[in-house]
Amino acid sequence: MDYPLGVDIAFLLLAVLAVVSAWRVFCTDSMVRASFFLLVSFIAVGVIMMLLAAVYLGVAMFFMMAVEMMVMALFMVMFMMNPAGLNPMMMVHQHRLSIGAGVAAFVVLGGVALLADFPVRPLPAGLEPVRSLGEEMLGDSMLIFESAGVVLLTTMVGVVVLASHRGRYGGAAEGSMPPGLEPGGEPAGMPEAEEGGGHHHHCH
Amino acid sequence: MIIDELVLPVLMVLMTLVAGVYLVAVIDRWLAGAFGLPQGGSAWLGPLRRGAWLLTQHANATEAPDWQAWRLAPALYLALAAMGLAVVPWSATLVATDLTTSVVLWGSVEALATVVIFLHGWSANALFALIGAYRYVALGLSYILISMFVLIGVALPAESLQFTQVVTSQTEMWNVVRQPLGLPLFLIVGLGMTFWGPLNLADADDLAGGTASEVSGPPRLVWDVARAAMLVAFSGVAASAFLGGWLGPWLPGPLWMLIKMLAVLVVLLLLGWLLPRVAPERCMTLMWVVLLPLSFVDLLWAGIAALLNG
Amino acid sequence: MTLVTLLLLAAALIGIGLYGALSQQSFVMLMMGLELMLNGVMLAAVAFWALSGAGAPEGQLLTIVVMAVMAIEMAMGFALVVAVFRTNQADMTEALSGLKH
Repeated sequence: MDYPLGVDIAFLLLAVLAVVSAWRVFCTDSMVRASFFLLVSFIAVGVIMMLLAAVYLGVAMFFMMAVEMMVMALFMVMFMMNPAGLNPMMMVHQHRLSIGAGVAAFVVLGGVALLADFPVRPLPAGLEPVRSLGEEMLGDSMLIFESAGVVLLTTMVGVVVLASHRGRYGGAAEGSMPPGLEPGGEPAGMPEAEEGGGHHHHCH
Repeated sequence: MIIDELVLPVLMVLMTLVAGVYLVAVIDRWLAGAFGLPQGGSAWLGPLRRGAWLLTQHANATEAPDWQAWRLAPALYLALAAMGLAVVPWSATLVATDLTTSVVLWGSVEALATVVIFLHGWSANALFALIGAYRYVALGLSYILISMFVLIGVALPAESLQFTQVVTSQTEMWNVVRQPLGLPLFLIVGLGMTFWGPLNLADADDLAGGTASEVSGPPRLVWDVARAAMLVAFSGVAASAFLGGWLGPWLPGPLWMLIKMLAVLVVLLLLGWLLPRVAPERCMTLMWVVLLPLSFVDLLWAGIAALLNG
Repeated sequence: MTLVTLLLLAAALIGIGLYGALSQQSFVMLMMGLELMLNGVMLAAVAFWALSGAGAPEGQLLTIVVMAVMAIEMAMGFALVVAVFRTNQADMTEALSGLKH
């Protein structure tokens, strides 16, 4: 299927944007920036989907990922020591192996893309992508779609149980001690024991 | 072809944007005068003077901000407003982009606006700006949900996600009558998303200006313009989703659209002056406990009506 | 924009995502790697749907399912991060040595 020149140019720019921002996710110091780079990558892929006539999916990418990455950025700020990237940082393990695995995945999948002989069956003329998606979701594949909905509901329940403060045996942090700063040392990050409070670790 | 598909739509959106933003500033000054706030100079020249003054001011700098994000955020917010205006139909054929999923695109504009506003407050590397950004994210999620349910309710009778179809489906009766809950909910979302008037919690005075507390000079001008532009885009979407867009007797379509947009704009600005302010945490409860269930009711209403009529 | 170039782009995204998922120490960054891989998967699915599948509606449905998987992965991931942080005060994958010999 031949696309007009404008579409090809747009695809090229978006592809470069998607890959560069995806790569920047893992080599920026600022964690909040990293999550928004990921958002840029998603948006670029969403626009490519729209160029491919998947109009609903492309737009769905925008709002799904905007909210997801917003939440991601909030968690970054909550959990990372350096969300703003004011200090350089590189937090990786098994770096060589990972690079190897990434390159290998690209080479194998790219090889499949280049060498395999996929059938050429473009979209039929007069197809309405949004209508056909809607009829599929609420027609033949309704069971799949509804199961996805039920699984999402289950996830919500499970997530609330996992993350909630209170469990069947009391608070979530009950009985758990943060690890010491040195092996066998005092728990880190605990408030100083007050006079006569039930704690027994006094300053030596 | 390029002129028809690229230049004309861009020109149309830009003209609407400029005229709309100026009108927002003028009407807001009139209202302020009518409510007894002393106004120096005429309402027509005031916005221009303030704009020119901001242009000549020095752009403030904080300690180690995220420069790219900080400077980009106001421009991105303006771009989102332009995206919203681009899907608003002026007549059956006069639409900048007549996307088949334009209603969903407007929904994603709202979602992306949350990101941009967070970025604006976060990147300044200042305390009050950050608190404002967090406030907006907490509230923004509820705004997005409410507006999505309300817009799905509008899309149901049209059996389409396209704003032109939504308008055409209101030939017999406007959605504001068919779904009476829709427009009020949508207007509140509009005030919230542009943090205008009583719902100005992200840039609130109790935070010394919130996300914009450290912004001055030209970036401040862009930020203010972008907020007004978002309000214009909102009134355009509200007019076509609930007030029948270009439909109306005697006058040509685009003129009707203009009248309706202006009416919504005036109502929004008036609400901005009349509604009482709410504390952020109360606003949060109000959104999730009262307005979100109301939007469910609206959707249910629309769904039952669609079943009965279909 | 041909099927081959689209699949190459998808492969690149999956490769970068795999690198991130394997190399990052922070849970949240690890999840970003997973998301990036799913991004590539979705692009490939849509590309096949548009250029090789003759617009079969299941192609679009697959993408919707992947989006649902993504949402589930995010939600579960963040819940686990919160739970681990409560008990271990840590958000590093190395902190989870509970199941090691």
